[in-house]
Amino acid sequence: MVMALAILVAIFLISPILIIIPMSFSTAISFQFPPPGYSLGYYQAYFTSYDWLQPTANSFVIAILSMAVTMLLVVPASFGYVRHRFRGKSFFNLLMMSPLIVPHVVAALAYYGYFSMARLNGTLPGVILAHGVLAVPIAFLVVCATIKGFDRNLERAAMSAGAGPLRTFFYVTLPVLRPGMMVGALFSFLASFNEAVVAIFISGRDAATLPKKMYESIRLESDPIIAVVSSLLIGAVLIGVVTSVVFRRKPKNVP
Amino acid sequence: MAGVVTAAPATATGPAAIPQGPGAGSVPWLLLMPATAALVLLFVLPIGYVLLLSFTDPQVSLAHYQRIFAVPLYTRILFNTFATSLTVTVICLLLAYPLAYVISRRNDWISLVLLICVAVCFWTGFIVRTYAWLVILGNKGPVAAVWQGLGLGAPPQLLFTSFASTLGMTHILLPYMVLALYSVMKKIDPNLLRAAASLGARPNAAFRAVFLPLSLPGVVNGSILVFTICLGFFVTPILLGTPKDMMISQLVNQQIEELLAWGFASAIAVVLLIATSIVLAIYNRFVGLDRLWG
Amino acid sequence: MKTSGKSGQNRRQVLKLGGGLVAAAGIGPLIVTERTIAQTRTIYVNTWGGSWTAAEEAAFFKPFTEATGIRVRTVAPVSYAKLKAQVQTGSYEWDITAINQAEWLRAEREGLVEPIDWTVVKKDALFPNAVFANGIAYCALGTNLVYRKDKFPNGGPKSWADFWDVKKFPGTRSLYNNSLRTVIFALLADGVPKDKLYPLDVDRALRKLTEIKPHIKVWWTQGNQSQQLIRDGEVDMMAMWNARASELAGQGVPVELVWNGATVSTTMWGVAKGAPNRKAAWEFIQFAVQAKPQADFSNRLYYGPTNPEAFKHIKPEVAKQLPTYEENYKQIAPSNIEWEAANLASIQERFSQWLAS
Repeated sequence: MVMALAILVAIFLISPILIIIPMSFSTAISFQFPPPGYSLGYYQAYFTSYDWLQPTANSFVIAILSMAVTMLLVVPASFGYVRHRFRGKSFFNLLMMSPLIVPHVVAALAYYGYFSMARLNGTLPGVILAHGVLAVPIAFLVVCATIKGFDRNLERAAMSAGAGPLRTFFYVTLPVLRPGMMVGALFSFLASFNEAVVAIFISGRDAATLPKKMYESIRLESDPIIAVVSSLLIGAVLIGVVTSVVFRRKPKNVP
Repeated sequence: MAGVVTAAPATATGPAAIPQGPGAGSVPWLLLMPATAALVLLFVLPIGYVLLLSFTDPQVSLAHYQRIFAVPLYTRILFNTFATSLTVTVICLLLAYPLAYVISRRNDWISLVLLICVAVCFWTGFIVRTYAWLVILGNKGPVAAVWQGLGLGAPPQLLFTSFASTLGMTHILLPYMVLALYSVMKKIDPNLLRAAASLGARPNAAFRAVFLPLSLPGVVNGSILVFTICLGFFVTPILLGTPKDMMISQLVNQQIEELLAWGFASAIAVVLLIATSIVLAIYNRFVGLDRLWG
Repeated sequence: MKTSGKSGQNRRQVLKLGGGLVAAAGIGPLIVTERTIAQTRTIYVNTWGGSWTAAEEAAFFKPFTEATGIRVRTVAPVSYAKLKAQVQTGSYEWDITAINQAEWLRAEREGLVEPIDWTVVKKDALFPNAVFANGIAYCALGTNLVYRKDKFPNGGPKSWADFWDVKKFPGTRSLYNNSLRTVIFALLADGVPKDKLYPLDVDRALRKLTEIKPHIKVWWTQGNQSQQLIRDGEVDMMAMWNARASELAGQGVPVELVWNGATVSTTMWGVAKGAPNRKAAWEFIQFAVQAKPQADFSNRLYYGPTNPEAFKHIKPEVAKQLPTYEENYKQIAPSNIEWEAANLASIQERFSQWLAS
């Protein structure tokens, strides 16, 4: 009974997403399901359309650079936060978490107004900075948790074996923490890549991201290329999730 | 994005690291400075600017706030936003609970497949999923086709209704709830249930007496999370909903996109921010904000 | 919400792989495109999207690029608030916009548009009334009552009063989410004579609109959307731009246009104040108001030209469907641009409040 319910809910979750994939091979001009015929026409249209490829490129550039911004801010801050006791610590934590507390539409409005004074609207640096800051809380949580779980005896051992603090950091601390940091970085990449609201407000024409482009073309016209882009994104997620399951299985089966 | 955090590999169950070394006790300025400066300059100040605009644009006054609470339309939008968020939260909870229960209690391929469904859904962007509902509920979509196939006549208007936007938001936020519940349920020791059973409790009774109370923190976390995201939900209500039953974020969008009324839009945003903060502050008072995303 | 490594490992892999794949597939070819574009001069034009943009592309943009080497890229949809936001924030998405006459006048008063550089743009060839308040008109656009003939075999609605008559003409309806035109239609439906509309009685119009509101299935915002609604049969009658309806008729969709009580507004070329490419914009406008491109545009999308010479190139069967065709034009409700420009902002605000209530 519980089982059946759970399966039904999972179907409710997954089926809308899977329905998009056949749509992307459709021949119909408007959102029609089931499609009247199948072709690769809209895939071709996507891969030759400057209007779609530019936002795609922007999304990658912005996500990668904002990930870098996030990590440059978060890694030192997490070390400072986890390993030191200082006055205003909880206040600092609140500051770092604030982008999660503030609804995105409020942040979007704020950046739209604030960046217009700095002439940063519609520019790549503007979106990169905004996304870089917005992803701070997620990365901070992950990296802090990683550092907390780190066994400091490793460092002590290295130090007592004669390594200096820098050597210890780069040869002992960092390699152990790397997987956790990678997860933090990955999350901040995806936070930027999937972020829509702030991008809709501030990314303008030249820095338009994929979610912004999709949002606009949904509102503007029933452009079937959206189905193509969505299918590609879903495909990437599906491959990723399923492969990870396979990868995770391996060490279990081969102890 | 709390669910994101769920996936953090670090267990960090031990106590926070004991401060030690020369830096202990003093403020590690060098480490904290970049993040602090960035967040103040690029987050706190912009939000402050919105606050400022709400009182000063076009002139210094409280008029925008008076208008929000005096015009019935706007109070209705506030109420509607809260009601919708509450509905979405409750539905999410009801749907997510059995799913999270099964995933966390079983350790077989079924739970794996279910987890994959949740994960795929979670990582697919809001816009993509909103688009999916646009197709499904559209009058050339599968729902309409089935409706007509059953000979029920013209399909009802589904798209661009508050039903559509509630459904879309539920679908989008459901994975958050599942992951919030899952992360708590996973930690419930199965031995407790076995112990209850060995003491003669029937499965239902054991569930009610042991499992349910222990899973409550997950229920609270997930609900707060879904509720607060829903309050400020932007894309889905705009694309699937109707201007007749607006939510706060739609109003902000309309004021900016159609009327470019900075002051009023800012005031609405501030009200939204305060509402969200109140919910989180209550949570913080009783549970502690750290727990929400950690 | 801490979990042990199990699901964490899993999702981490997920991300790594997905991200890498997409990155490899996506970025490579794009940088080249970006660079090639940047080498040429480009102007950005704000248009209505869909078939409007397609017709402009064929009649104006492509020939212009061939003649001058200046690239034209388009941004949609047309939005007055966006024009204002651009000038206020200094972040320009486009240089030139299509803008209707009343909004042009308002924009000029608010200092949002550049006055035409008459040393580049030649106005002598145009109808005298095409030159207006330092701006230049390029087409006349009708907004009509349009219905599906197949849904009304015994004769469809003939006026806005009929549109409001849900008993005599049952069926789903849609209206344009545009305050001014909707208010005018409501007043006409309420029995106000065409020549006594101004000053518009907004209270009366909103009261009349409240009657029909429950029957309006969609308030459309984009031209394409309006076509999709009636093409797919989602609505049976609606207010719609004349050329969009004619286009559907040409594609075999059984739609009928009603000219009685239609509005005709003039669309102008507007250049945003301080737009970065305004020099090239003047060149473009001078190109686009010539007879040949205008005729090409009208032949594709049935809106009336502003250059009298253009009629020489317009097919006779097309001419009959233009808003400026005498038989059509005498049935429309004439507008008072001055009054509209002065009152547009307040009408808009009241309308959007009404719509949301």
